[in-house]
Amino acid sequence: MAGYSFTRRRAILLLSLTSVLLITLDLRGSSAVNFTRSAFGSVFRPIESATRVVTRPIQNTWNGITRYNDVLAENRRLRDLVAYDEGATIAAIASVREAQELLALNGLPTLAGISSCTAQVVGQSPSNFAQTVELNRGSECGIKVGMPVLNAAGMIGKVTDVYNKRSVVMLITDPGYSLSVKIVNTPPTTTTTTIPGQVVESTTTTTTTTTTTTIPRTTTTTIKGFTPGGTAAPTTTQPLQPGETAPPGTVGPNQPGKNTNSPITVPAGADLPLRETGALEGRGLTKSPVVRFIENQPRFGAVAVGSPVISSGGATSLAPPDIVIGTVSRVVKRSGTLGPLLEVKLSANFDNLNFVRVLLYQPITERPTAP
Amino acid sequence: MIERLVVLAEARYTRLILLGLLFLSLQTTIFNEMRPFGVSLQVMLLLAASCGLAKGSQTGAVAGFIIGLLYDMVLTTPLGLCAAVFAVVGYLAGFVHTFVHESTWWSRMLASLGVSIIGMFMLPIAFTITGAEGVLTTDVFLVASVVAVFNAVLSLPTEWLCNWAIRDESLVR
Repeated sequence: MAGYSFTRRRAILLLSLTSVLLITLDLRGSSAVNFTRSAFGSVFRPIESATRVVTRPIQNTWNGITRYNDVLAENRRLRDLVAYDEGATIAAIASVREAQELLALNGLPTLAGISSCTAQVVGQSPSNFAQTVELNRGSECGIKVGMPVLNAAGMIGKVTDVYNKRSVVMLITDPGYSLSVKIVNTPPTTTTTTIPGQVVESTTTTTTTTTTTTIPRTTTTTIKGFTPGGTAAPTTTQPLQPGETAPPGTVGPNQPGKNTNSPITVPAGADLPLRETGALEGRGLTKSPVVRFIENQPRFGAVAVGSPVISSGGATSLAPPDIVIGTVSRVVKRSGTLGPLLEVKLSANFDNLNFVRVLLYQPITERPTAP
Repeated sequence: MIERLVVLAEARYTRLILLGLLFLSLQTTIFNEMRPFGVSLQVMLLLAASCGLAKGSQTGAVAGFIIGLLYDMVLTTPLGLCAAVFAVVGYLAGFVHTFVHESTWWSRMLASLGVSIIGMFMLPIAFTITGAEGVLTTDVFLVASVVAVFNAVLSLPTEWLCNWAIRDESLVR
């Protein structure tokens, strides 16, 4: 303890103050700190690349020892999966295209209308407490902070730092990540659906009577929550019972005080997949993300395991709507008015991220505000 | 000009920075891929602790700060956070070892194990203080254990490297 001199105290004080100063500057988004990090990245990148080349044989040896059986088993499983998914993929692609056309026709935002930048994952965070990956594209490609990142399977995260030729992506599993999502609850019968076929219309002189003739066509689907043609919402008509009054606007012209024998139009949406929104939160790589704030609505019913989880979109959302995130893997019921807690099995495989797509979609919440 | 460069290269902290860059490149490549029990081994923490063991608490604190600052450059955490934690680790490594009457190889390994555990607990606490959520979980126990054992095993060769890097300039000449 004799060495605990004034010089030592001064050194410790200086180090502490420097740390606090740097942390404060960084937390306040200082451009000097960003520039320093960017410059360091430029200097360090060649050193890292050289080390990667030199240490690759050691890495391969390690992977060969620890993962050989896993790789063999995974290879077999993937071959089965590829064979199984080939047919479903074609049907899904066709459905997605149809859906995007429909959305575009109705002037609704679609992913097809959003530009993107393809990038490759070149590294991941060496920390045990942050789930981030690094991409080899940056601001030169138009990438900005907050943009959603996805791969072929679905959403993987959002951009948190952007440099000239690289960017950092916070994964969806990071505890700091949160995104508004919607859960498409699977209706009780999803395997067999009817698609409206020919529609024959006949009009009378006094009231407009629409008769919809549905020719049932049975199709089967294995995609939960996906019901081909289910969104067409065919309308059916029911004749009015004696004594019932048609609501204004459904028939015309209105004749006050006089009953009409007009039919009531009832939208056939009862068997459509129901949607409920919540907030998806990451919990680290070892735990599945959860969806909170699902309302306990009787109409929504119990959430089925396997129901798709997709981004909800909206003006303040971090991502555009309808990006696939995963499926519900477990439902934790909670007492009182608290809605259920849903564990989500992510569709993207975070162990093998390679090529990803950065949607050039900057949420309103991430746009810099004018001083 | 060349003489100045030679003098600069002979400076103890210049050699430490170069050694730190080498360890950082190992950290972001090979030790990022090799994850026993799913834990990323922390050679930067090992370097900070070894500097303290090799050169005492004051030099250990300064060296730990420099090493932590290098590590902060590649992390997304606030700049200066790892620097502060690693400075404490470097200081503690040197300080703890002053209590040992006759230093042996196993006492050095034990000191490295102890300060690594402290460092791995301090990191998530520091992250939480600066606003990160969900990092202070029970997983920290596993992470700290694996990292500490690894650091203890590699502490002796790393300490030798630190002794070489931050030895007095007069000895270099």
